[in-house]
Amino acid sequence: MASLRLRSDLALVVICVGLYVGAAAQVRSGRHTALSLALGALAAPVTAAANAVGSFWSLVWLGERGLSETIAELGRLRAEADELRRSNQLLTAELAALRQGSQLLARFPALAEYAVLARVQSRDVVLTHTMLIDRGRADGVRLDAPVLAGDGLLGRIDRVSDRSARVQLLTHPAAAAAVRIIGVAAEGLLVGGDQPSITQLPPYTEVPAEAAVVSSGSEGIYPPGLVIGTTGEGTTRGLFTVAPVVLAARATDTMVVLVLPAIGQVP
Amino acid sequence: MKLALAFLAALAAHFALRAAHLWWVLAAGQPLLLVVVAAARARPPVATAWMGLAVGLAIDLVSGRVIGPGGIAGAAAGAAVSLLVRRLELEGPLFWIVGSLAAAACSEGLWFALLSTLGVVPDHGWLGLAATVAMTAAIGLAVATVERGVRAWRSPERARRRLLKRL
Repeated sequence: MASLRLRSDLALVVICVGLYVGAAAQVRSGRHTALSLALGALAAPVTAAANAVGSFWSLVWLGERGLSETIAELGRLRAEADELRRSNQLLTAELAALRQGSQLLARFPALAEYAVLARVQSRDVVLTHTMLIDRGRADGVRLDAPVLAGDGLLGRIDRVSDRSARVQLLTHPAAAAAVRIIGVAAEGLLVGGDQPSITQLPPYTEVPAEAAVVSSGSEGIYPPGLVIGTTGEGTTRGLFTVAPVVLAARATDTMVVLVLPAIGQVP
Repeated sequence: MKLALAFLAALAAHFALRAAHLWWVLAAGQPLLLVVVAAARARPPVATAWMGLAVGLAIDLVSGRVIGPGGIAGAAAGAAVSLLVRRLELEGPLFWIVGSLAAAACSEGLWFALLSTLGVVPDHGWLGLAATVAMTAAIGLAVATVERGVRAWRSPERARRRLLKRL
């Protein structure tokens, strides 16, 4: 029987070709592996630890600033100020998150009954354009549910587990939403990317500068009337007028989000 | 063994850098690629490419991407970095900075090319690519600084100086 000895470099090339074929199959099937879900569960404590370090650092920073101001103003009350600083440090981060949450609920009182308030656990606004929130299927979060920040629409849920969910931001290159520009009759399609823009408008459409952009609901994911952002200067490219959009909600500053029920979830 | 520990540390750093309470720019870094750079120091190009393959697959897995293109890109990046390091005889801080820059640029560039052949929309654009290369190189710089510090701390000169002070 002939013996086959595989060279290391050839084996590497063979495996790479196999991986490429496997990747093509994954693209066609579009399913997530159980391994990726398990990895998400393993990552949670590491993310929590990093959040604790980041939170501690910001609290120390705020505390140091508060302490120096207190010492300058009330030097003789140093001991009392120390105690106040400690409690202040603990409350500052909590307060910021609660404030964002209450603002969100106040802005959308009609949605408060069905919507889910969630904290942002981690975010990647540069590479994967996603953020992880601490509410999942067990809390009523469903796939494709719209996600709002205080200033406007952030994106939609694109992956959900029992206790957490992932938000695909509107800046994701694959993100899209049917939109309406206030003052323009035609409906357009907002597409994500480094510079989100509205396409599919009829050629030579007059797009007013800094006009409000709201969702129209035609794509069946986002309910109509949600604030998305403001327009830039529109230009006609080929068959369509294209207008850049400045998104209202900043994912980099958001700590609390409101997850709306997905279309069809609420009777 | 050291590389396995470095891999685990880099994996933890990958998740940690994406934490919501940290500066969002840090999320662009790919600390796992530095394991490939570390492997390139003592291993031949083929062995480094194997390490790159493992690291690339890990990046695909932890980023929730299609599994495969990252592995292929990582393998190519590992071979390229190993060849580059040998060709230019890089050592010290320059090894880490040029190595991480080359690993990130090669890995990201090939990843983009592979995804375009598969017809998949990449999860980031050119801005993300530039940010990844810059942040990975910045992490390489940080590693180089730490390594230099550790070497200085453990150097025989320092031990001699301390001994002379005691006399």
